Amino acid sequence: MSCANMSCAKFESLIALYVESDLAERERRLVEAHLERCHGCREFAADIRESQTALKELRMDFVEESALQEVRAEVLFHLSTPRKTAAWPKYAMAAMLLAGLWAGWLWRTRTAVLPEVQPRAAMIAPPPLVAVSAQRGHTARVLKHQRQPAPTFQSEPLVVKMITDDPQVVIYWLVSQNGG
Amino acid sequence: MQELALLMESGCGDARDEEFVRLVKLAKAGDAAAFEAIMRLYERRVLLTALRLLNRNLEDAKDAAQQIFLRLHRSLGQLDENRHFASWLYRITVNVCRDMLRARARRSVVSLEEAGAGLVVAAADDTVRNEQRRMIYEALATLPERERTAVVLRDLEGFTTSEAARIMGCSEVTVRSQISNARLKIRKFVQRRQRRPL
Repeated sequence: MSCANMSCAKFESLIALYVESDLAERERRLVEAHLERCHGCREFAADIRESQTALKELRMDFVEESALQEVRAEVLFHLSTPRKTAAWPKYAMAAMLLAGLWAGWLWRTRTAVLPEVQPRAAMIAPPPLVAVSAQRGHTARVLKHQRQPAPTFQSEPLVVKMITDDPQVVIYWLVSQNGG
Repeated sequence: MQELALLMESGCGDARDEEFVRLVKLAKAGDAAAFEAIMRLYERRVLLTALRLLNRNLEDAKDAAQQIFLRLHRSLGQLDENRHFASWLYRITVNVCRDMLRARARRSVVSLEEAGAGLVVAAADDTVRNEQRRMIYEALATLPERERTAVVLRDLEGFTTSEAARIMGCSEVTVRSQISNARLKIRKFVQRRQRRPL
């Protein structure tokens, strides 16, 4: 950037910084060189200095003590009183807790009513775990993961096991599936 | 509180001051008296800056000052004692005032006349100088918010352009441009007023 390439209009923004020493050394020298030659820009710099002096007069302003006291009192009051939090999170927590308790109670009652079929294993014929192809003379293979069809208990009675407080006393309740 | 009086007299209170660092440490540890001492050191500057940024609206400036100190108290834990405290406080000030200006712009526009004019008391009882003061405040009010903030920080609060850039959270080049524009606009406003027939 050289002085010859710049118009006075472009120097204005630099002069606005120059009057308060806000320019880097190289820019400052550039502006000073221009000001030496340009009368119009010297007048412009004088104008800016004048308005800057007026602006800086505002540094002498002060605020009344009562305004400061008011602010200080408000801040200290806010800091001394415990911060009020919104009430809705408490209610939400209580509602969630109640819902959890209700769900737990429901789950417990459901599992207590559902019959626990204790003697089921005794009623089902054990699945054939071992298949032997003895006729062909092959080695026996164990079919461990063979799935068996689910047994039906249409005519079988349900057995409800009721556990009492006394571990020695267990009540078994036989219920007919036909509604008996 | 004698130490506080000395600090206030000296007009300092930044991270380089041992006594001030001690106050900040105490305030961080929850000492209310230490926080009040810090507040007393800075309340005048904070309120005046808020007044300038909020176009002389004293009620808004007082609200802003309260918010600034409450925010300062909340964020004391994040303060690095070695950092320049004033820059940090001014950053809060600028942010709070900017938020308030935006909120006020959404609400309504308050004229300069009704916005606490006369509540900032001039130092000298000189009508010409007071008139000039009023004119400069009006000129400041015509500036865009960023330019006004930049020129207030640089020309009225005495920060350097790099400090002003740090406070405003932008580059120094941007701040210099904003300061330059603001000064040019103020000069233009003043000239227009002075040429206006009485």
